[in-house]
Amino acid sequence: MDLSLGQLGMASLWLAFALAIYGIFAGILGALRRDARLQTSARFAAVAVFLAVTTAIAVMETALLTDDFSVRYVAEHSRIASPLWVKVVTLWSALEGSVLFWGWLLTGYGALLAITSPNNVLRPWALSIMQMVQLFFISVVTFIANPFIVMAVPPMDGPGANPLLQNHWMMAVHPVLLYLGYVGLTVPFAFAMAALITRRPGIEWMTQTRTWTLIGWGFLSAGIIAGGWWSYEVLGWGGYWAWDPVENVSFMPWLTATAFIHSVQVQERRRMLKSWNVMLIVLTFSLSILGTFLIRSGVVSSVHAFGDGPVGPFFLAFFIVVALAAFGLVAWRWDQVRDNAELDAAVSREGSFLAGNVLFLAMAFAVLLGTLFPLIVEALSGNKVTVGAPFFDKVSIPIWLLIFVLMGIGPLLPWRKAEEQSLRKNLMWLVGGALAAALIAFLFGIRRVYPLLTIALAGFNLVSLGLLITGAVVPRARLSGRNVLSVFRQYAFESKRRFGSMIVHFGVIVIALGVLGSGAYRVDQQIRIDYGQSVEFQGYELKALGAYTYPELSLLQSGTLTEQDVSHISLGANVEVWRNGKLLKVLNPRINRFLGRPEQPVPTPSVLYMPWHDIYLNIAGELNADSSSVTLRVVQSPLVTWIWIGGFIIVLGTAYALSPNRRRVKASQEARGSVQA
Amino acid sequence: MKKLIYAIAGVAILGIAGALIYQALNSSLVYFILPNEYAAHPAKYEDRRIRLGGIVEPGSVQYDNQNLQLAFAITDSIKTYPVTHVGAPPELFKENTGVVVEGHFDGETFKSDELLIKHSEVYEPPADGQPIDIEMLKDTLQ
Repeated sequence: MDLSLGQLGMASLWLAFALAIYGIFAGILGALRRDARLQTSARFAAVAVFLAVTTAIAVMETALLTDDFSVRYVAEHSRIASPLWVKVVTLWSALEGSVLFWGWLLTGYGALLAITSPNNVLRPWALSIMQMVQLFFISVVTFIANPFIVMAVPPMDGPGANPLLQNHWMMAVHPVLLYLGYVGLTVPFAFAMAALITRRPGIEWMTQTRTWTLIGWGFLSAGIIAGGWWSYEVLGWGGYWAWDPVENVSFMPWLTATAFIHSVQVQERRRMLKSWNVMLIVLTFSLSILGTFLIRSGVVSSVHAFGDGPVGPFFLAFFIVVALAAFGLVAWRWDQVRDNAELDAAVSREGSFLAGNVLFLAMAFAVLLGTLFPLIVEALSGNKVTVGAPFFDKVSIPIWLLIFVLMGIGPLLPWRKAEEQSLRKNLMWLVGGALAAALIAFLFGIRRVYPLLTIALAGFNLVSLGLLITGAVVPRARLSGRNVLSVFRQYAFESKRRFGSMIVHFGVIVIALGVLGSGAYRVDQQIRIDYGQSVEFQGYELKALGAYTYPELSLLQSGTLTEQDVSHISLGANVEVWRNGKLLKVLNPRINRFLGRPEQPVPTPSVLYMPWHDIYLNIAGELNADSSSVTLRVVQSPLVTWIWIGGFIIVLGTAYALSPNRRRVKASQEARGSVQA
Repeated sequence: MKKLIYAIAGVAILGIAGALIYQALNSSLVYFILPNEYAAHPAKYEDRRIRLGGIVEPGSVQYDNQNLQLAFAITDSIKTYPVTHVGAPPELFKENTGVVVEGHFDGETFKSDELLIKHSEVYEPPADGQPIDIEMLKDTLQ
């Protein structure tokens, strides 16, 4: 009998499962006995697990690309006529595949760690912790949600991936970014646990994982922003964030991770906040597991609950085990992580970081509460409720504004204690910037409180960035007598982490303005346009030309194309957008019907992107090929593009902070060279 | 002394945050109910935003194409209420489909600003004479 792809995939998962168990035991035993050979063996096991899961991934991709419907996952989620890219990314378009993919990334990071991380006391324990997490994911795909189950009677064709997902290429990007974020943040978690086990709660574990933490945070940020853009481009209501549970659960670990990357700096500088940092990274990791449980189990109703498979209880159990074990370990080692240093003054860099931490945590708690509250109410009273967006807005907007205040002041404050004189001078500049920005906004007709405050704080932060740069550059230029620009270039090049963080903060301000504009000043209405006529909207002329069809109707009617050949058919309207007698663009909002799942038509918006506001058209209501008019949902979102640009800036800043410092690399090479010499 | 000040400040901040959160939560709760549940306690839902689930009553749908005004009746077979909605009926909006409308009651009429079709589960009306399973209907629509 031939070996089927399903069996091959299953075998690789079993192999990975066995190797992971071996790796854990070899690693722990090797660490306890200080046996270098066992430790090395555990590292090989980490690489081998990665190779085994890679084989599973390769098998699944082969099955998807060759339309092997004997594999159930392929039969249930793929379709012959789907485009190539959809088939490739179908790997993570449904539950089983996405857990397998997540597990694969985890083993990839694990293998990379096993190869690259320096040999010290922490390494064997950290690798073992990583492998325990991998073991959980591998067990889930092996025993509970196995994508390689073989169909007794394979169908001729499948229904294809979820229409909402295959409707936009972002689905190839957004989940990958999110998983890379979650997985990246598993590394500092593993090292933190290793530090507790080995009674070394100093700064080693965080300096060793600094790069991983930043990479994880950067990917998580990018993933969340990409998810927002996906939702803007696909869901059709002209928004990007609805405080839906599936969004909230990605936001909570981001909040705690953001707190973490700030508070580790306090420990690095002041040797404070040991226990706090460990708890933050435990919280970040366990929230990412809790989130997966919440949206995968169907316990919270979500607009886009992408699958309520059988894995829910297992993720819940894993969450409980992780939380108990990790916090238990913290309690057990409490005498080690207790702080002996004290805050010298509240008005100091560490004071502002600490305050910011409290705010990030408060927001994470509020979001968690709002997400879980429907469960609590239903358990207590039997009432079915949802917590509306107003709750999340009411709680998070003031917290964000306070965070923006700290983001402006904090980086200007020195460690330990700020001098009153320089503080007062800086504050004057900052408040001046805030007032100037608010005044300009006021003159442009902005009267509402939150928008005015946000703009004021944007000015406040821009001045702060200006002060930070001039404070670093001007004195040096004066001392060395070189021109300011070259000193600036040198500063930006030499202080990559510092300058990278400024870029990230700048990106945050850009996003804040985008959220403000699109949140507070959006215009959303439905308009009916007869074909051939135009309608005025916010100073634009919208002219409906006629029906938009894809593929050409004649091709389908003449039989040149059959429904078997195309992935989807679209019916929509061609709408010209005019302003001041000038044609800006022809938009084609449409309804896509994916032929594998025709019962779920997807209204697909069409957007004219502009720097000051977008014009967003989506088909509202029913549309037929012979309709003589079209009803559109028309949304004008001011500054919404700034969110995507800001997200890009944040990624850029993170990458800049991570980019290797050539000078430092060279210096360390020279140092090594001199030792050898 | 320093510790005491921090502790007091911490407790005060937590207290204020707690009060704010409670107030915000309470005012943004949106109940999901069926028409008969509203009929039983209309006062409980006064001035509240609610999500009303039910079936589109056959023969009740009226759509004003010019002003984009949709009117229909929503029912759970025990109680029926008229609904007005601004906007075109979405694709797949049909008689006998399960829908959830979000908005508030204005007298006996429900004013909706959001209309969701529950198309994944097609609701099948019970055979003649059979009582409707209210619990199941609610679960299906939720």
